[in-house]
Amino acid sequence: MSTIEGIPADVAHVDLDEKRAVLELDATLYPVESLYSAAFVFIDRHYVFLDRPDAQKLRIVVTPKKLEADPEAAKEQLRGVVGELANELVTAAWRHQITQENRARIEAVTLQAMAGSMGPPSLDDLEDFDFTDEAFEDPLGIALSWEEKYAKKGEAKAEASEGTADSPETSDAAEATAEAKGEEE
Amino acid sequence: MRELRFHRELYRGESVDEAIKVYAPYATITPVEHETHWVVKIESKSAARERKIGDEMANYALGLTIRNQGV
Repeated sequence: MSTIEGIPADVAHVDLDEKRAVLELDATLYPVESLYSAAFVFIDRHYVFLDRPDAQKLRIVVTPKKLEADPEAAKEQLRGVVGELANELVTAAWRHQITQENRARIEAVTLQAMAGSMGPPSLDDLEDFDFTDEAFEDPLGIALSWEEKYAKKGEAKAEASEGTADSPETSDAAEATAEAKGEEE
Repeated sequence: MRELRFHRELYRGESVDEAIKVYAPYATITPVEHETHWVVKIESKSAARERKIGDEMANYALGLTIRNQGV
């Protein structure tokens, strides 16, 4: 058994006699799903064996199907395998975490897609539908229709023109009000 | 003789059984009941052959387990 430079022996080591690399993981950091995901990537070029030595630990034993004949080259190959596996595990664990965090969103999108695939509502469904409810609350007045939005300007200008007929002072005031309204909008 | 110990929390029993069925023609494979593991004993003509069959069987059982987990 030999250690790998930069990695503690109790985390990963190479066993040249058995032609394998062994990686021990903290089960609280790496969920089993990430272990499966990483193992699946390696399964075509290596023999992969999983174990749980105790409740807090997971063990992956990786044996390359084709190992270099030269001991030094074989050791280097096994070190590379450990590095690749460690990287793959981090990727899989991170992907798993993102999936967990976005689960609600994924379920909502899937549900919408499923509901959409059911097709348009029938006439009976539309008959039963209650259209009397308000669509939604709009306290800031964002959801104005085009007519509502531009009718105000038109009305303000009309008022301003009426004011011109009355007196020059009131017409100035009306124009100022119309401009102020325009700026607000 | 070679012994493989598949942890019950990591390997599905059905997957191990299926792997045993697939590799049974190549060696004498005996499943043994254990509290925490699915234990499988492999006997064949040589240690190298036992090792090869054990490795292939473990990969097969793991592949089936992962496929059935939907990962």
